[in-house]
Amino acid sequence: MNLVTLYELLRGPLLWLAFGVFFGGMVLRVILFYRLSKRKDGVIYRFFSWKWLWLSIFRWIVPLNETAKKNPIVTLVGFVFHICLIATPIFLLAHGVLWYESWEISWWSLSEQVADYMTLIVIGCGLFFAIRRMVLPHVRIVTTAADYLLLAVTLTPFVTGYLAYHQYFDYNTVLILHMFFGELMLVVIPFTKLSHFLMFFFSRAITGMEFGRRSAPSW
Amino acid sequence: MAEKVAVDPQAFKKAVDDRTNARLKMWLEICAHCGLCADTCHFYLSNDRDPKLIPAIKGKKVLEAFKKKDKIDEAFLEELYWTVYGDCTMCRRCTMFCPFGIDIATITSTGRGLCVSQGKVPENLVKTIESYYEYGNQMEVSEEDWIDTLQWMEEELQEELPGATIPIDKKGANLLYTVNAREPKFYPMDISQAAMVFYLAGEDWTMSSKGWDDTNLAMFAGDLKAAGYVSQLVRDAAEELEVKRVAITE
Ligand code: SF4
Ligand code: SF4
Repeated sequence: MNLVTLYELLRGPLLWLAFGVFFGGMVLRVILFYRLSKRKDGVIYRFFSWKWLWLSIFRWIVPLNETAKKNPIVTLVGFVFHICLIATPIFLLAHGVLWYESWEISWWSLSEQVADYMTLIVIGCGLFFAIRRMVLPHVRIVTTAADYLLLAVTLTPFVTGYLAYHQYFDYNTVLILHMFFGELMLVVIPFTKLSHFLMFFFSRAITGMEFGRRSAPSW
Repeated sequence: MAEKVAVDPQAFKKAVDDRTNARLKMWLEICAHCGLCADTCHFYLSNDRDPKLIPAIKGKKVLEAFKKKDKIDEAFLEELYWTVYGDCTMCRRCTMFCPFGIDIATITSTGRGLCVSQGKVPENLVKTIESYYEYGNQMEVSEEDWIDTLQWMEEELQEELPGATIPIDKKGANLLYTVNAREPKFYPMDISQAAMVFYLAGEDWTMSSKGWDDTNLAMFAGDLKAAGYVSQLVRDAAEELEVKRVAITE
């Protein structure tokens, strides 16, 4: 198989597959969660409260809580990391072009310079987390191989994207690796702790309501 | 002969299946292992920041139990036992500080439930559970002693506040006042003091001859069946007396 067919595979069917597994997987997660919770988590529905649900999510989606106050550096790095991680691939000009080629849809995009910095920021924050894991005893002790592996899975699309943009090494090979790692990340999200991008909202809502029913804030 | 702790893998697996729910599965999966919960736990702080005592470790141990199911052995059960009964009071402080709101206290309680399935519960808690079943309270206070104590306290009360009473089994009262079984056993004056407040506030209240202990150490032990039994005692008393609400001691 040469590079061109590989490119076409990754650009076509495998990309479909990755998006399919990602969206399908997450929808399935939510359905399974709902079904099991209906059977075994009566407490959620008995004390359901929109007020505490939104308050709990809001207080943590913007850092308005004690943990953020007590850990300003981790909070800052965490927020910058997540914002760049999500925004960069969505608003990258080069990705926008691909969407336009396939679907003739387009949206606002970042300037290439800014996107370049944001990519570096994601990588930098990722390294910060890796070092934090190695250095702090109370983080090291709960760290598993999967934690490092998933961090790597999250960072490789950005590293290869950076290399591709600057055309370091062999452009075609790097591009193919970039596509592969990007698709790999999408595929693993629903089956690993990376699913927290969505489950965060469920968990926060549930704990918010659980504390809220005793009029105690969970932040 | 060395002491042998019997492990019942099937009962353990059944307990795991029974206690599996959507929240627990989610929490055990999404914990980011970030350690932000560490210095919210008094066990960690009061043991020279021993990393083995951070809340997430307790979650991890219970997760192991969930994965092992019927593959558990004595050594693991022993570890689980010491973690869930020895290293966590289920205070929920860490829950408040975890970005995801992961409820380590509920996870610990679940871990205790798994130990219950193996009959591995701290001896003193076992005794209190037996006492609930036999006497309806955790301190082996018989109904006779209970009523005696209330009457004695009423006499003391009337010396200070003539006309004040401690009503027992008054049907249709507004409020049923329940206490910790320690009060009749060790601090009966607490009851007359509460009665004083009720009298001066003009409250329509009563105490019950049965189902008056509002503690639930069975719940603390993770024994849900017994915990249900204990709460039911108070509920039955409230329904029997047709009170509007139940108040619990401070
Ligand atoms: S329980 Fe929460 S705060 Fe603690 S390590 Fe897990 S995600 Fe982090
Ligand atoms: S619930 Fe347990 S782990 Fe969490 S702070 Fe309290 S004692 Fe520590």
